[in-house]
Amino acid sequence: MAEQTLTLRNLKVVFPSGMGLIRAVEGVDIDIGKGESIALVGESGCGKSVTSMSIMKLIESPPAITKMDQLTFAGDDIKDYTPSQMQSVRGKMMAMIFQDAMTSLNPVMTCGKQIDEMFMRHMQLNKKAAREETVKALELVGVPEPRKRAKNFPHELSGGMRQRVLLAMAFACMPKLIIADEPTTALDVTIQAQVLSVLRDMQKKHDVSLLVVTHDLSVVANIADTVYVMYSGKIVEKASVKQLFKQPFHPYSAGLLASVPSLSDTAGHFVQIPGSVPHPMKKPTGCYFHPRCHYAKDKCKASMPPLSAHDDGRQVRCFYPLKTNGGTSNV
Amino acid sequence: MKKSYAIKRVLYSVFVFVIVMALNFFIPRIGVADPAERYYPPQGNMTDAQYEIIKQLTREQYGFDVSTPQQFLNYVGGLFQGDLGTSFRSGSPGVMELIVDRLPWTLVLSVSTMLLGLIFGIMIGVIAAMKRGRWQDTTLLNASTIMIALPGFFIALLLSFFLGFELEIFPAYTDPNMVSDFGWNMTAILRVIENAALPVLSMMVGSIVGYAQGTRNAVIAVTNEDFILTAKAKGLRNTTIRYKHTLRNAMLPIVTSIGMSISGLIGGQVVIEQIFNWNGMGTLFLEANNMNDYPLMMGIMLLLSGFTILAILITDLIYVLLDPRVTVGDRR
Repeated sequence: MAEQTLTLRNLKVVFPSGMGLIRAVEGVDIDIGKGESIALVGESGCGKSVTSMSIMKLIESPPAITKMDQLTFAGDDIKDYTPSQMQSVRGKMMAMIFQDAMTSLNPVMTCGKQIDEMFMRHMQLNKKAAREETVKALELVGVPEPRKRAKNFPHELSGGMRQRVLLAMAFACMPKLIIADEPTTALDVTIQAQVLSVLRDMQKKHDVSLLVVTHDLSVVANIADTVYVMYSGKIVEKASVKQLFKQPFHPYSAGLLASVPSLSDTAGHFVQIPGSVPHPMKKPTGCYFHPRCHYAKDKCKASMPPLSAHDDGRQVRCFYPLKTNGGTSNV
Repeated sequence: MKKSYAIKRVLYSVFVFVIVMALNFFIPRIGVADPAERYYPPQGNMTDAQYEIIKQLTREQYGFDVSTPQQFLNYVGGLFQGDLGTSFRSGSPGVMELIVDRLPWTLVLSVSTMLLGLIFGIMIGVIAAMKRGRWQDTTLLNASTIMIALPGFFIALLLSFFLGFELEIFPAYTDPNMVSDFGWNMTAILRVIENAALPVLSMMVGSIVGYAQGTRNAVIAVTNEDFILTAKAKGLRNTTIRYKHTLRNAMLPIVTSIGMSISGLIGGQVVIEQIFNWNGMGTLFLEANNMNDYPLMMGIMLLLSGFTILAILITDLIYVLLDPRVTVGDRR
């Protein structure tokens, strides 16, 4: 990946609350190459959505306090872009696909009109020309009878069709980066597969970079090249999909993989990681994962391990990465 | 599908009106053998024979000399010809004429109150929502707390005293010539505006604050919706988001509250009309009540109910145009 689409360095997001500071994101680095597909994985509340929204600068500030050392996008330093400068980057250069298409589409506007807006805003097309482009965009994501569907309101379409409308909207201006925040969570499994394959095909065909935020490992396996595993506001492991699924290094990644139910499970019950995610205001000392970690030693309680690089290019935030301990079976 | 929804709503409204019409006819007849007794209660110094004669005359004059079903048919038939019956007042004026005389004067007050209240209320509400938590917003919050505690007639009395009697900016009492000398010329119209100023002002304050608070809450609720985040992620300009996405959705609850207040337009100001001596529907209803003028009361009641039903119907139909989701249940 010679050409970088996005470089994010040391992102920190803090939400002040009445009872103290909520440190949602603590120093996250993300690199996305051109045409690369990245997954950001973690439990609810680990800061993955906040990270993705910070890249688009969609976190309201105030109340949030957002800091970063570097944000380079498509060769431009957009770290200090003003809100109005961001308005012409968003949608045109980087677009977002949201989880729930029902609530993410304006209920009193036809789907077509909501896509038209993209072309009218970013390509200065008039209404008629914009509608022609909208019909093409809907056709690309596999919406049958696109001209007719464009006249429908969101509630008149099925969940899968609505999600395709969001896809068409995101791909409308062929942006350099698409951020998909739980793109298939609200859909049932067969529709999930369809929407994912449309997303992957579109991404590959048009060489768009993709950042998928999800907690669903099957989505990750399907769509991503590289995976960032996030825990309690920090990246704990960065690896290629193959590396991660073959041999996770961080005990948390191993726990996540082990908790995916499979047909060959003989245990007869779901494997889960003991304990729960630390409260964002009462994070433990040392490694944030140590209270739930099988392998934790005294060192883990005392200090936070750095995100250290390994020979095969992956990065792990653990003093005792699992490669020396063998497989995931005893987690 | 929109057409079938509209037809259904219209038929339903007609059905409700028929029931209201029947209740309006039967309620004055409940519990008395002879409606003439209710229309004309016995006076203290009257002999039985004299009262019999009066009752007989009453029956003939008001059509009680036929069977009750026949009376109902006559009543309904009269309604179709715009005949609401005859008032008890001297000169036996028709109820319809009395109402037609007074209704425009009430509408002058209520329509201008509502329009001004809506325009200023929505404007202030949008500003407060945009400046959430800042002084514009807290001022509105305080104002609406005070307005909930202050009854309209109290504001009317204050305004009448200070602006009317003390400073003499506007007439504290309606000029009787306003009605008698009315014509479509500048002087007469200006006189109406001058006289309407205080009553409209005293009703407007509450209505502005009410609409402003409603608009503010609706706008803030919509601002937190997911599709506003989508609109931001699309890189739309703030003005586009505000007017095309936020306000259109925030208008939905406001339309409902407008519908509610339309029904109050023709009868909701009895007290204000009394304070400023304004000869409108409120005063007419009070007069009818004090004089036991049953036909007039029935006429006004029927008109109020009919107007309310019409207002709700119109609100529902406008709602369909604004919110495409409404017809969903109707299609299945």
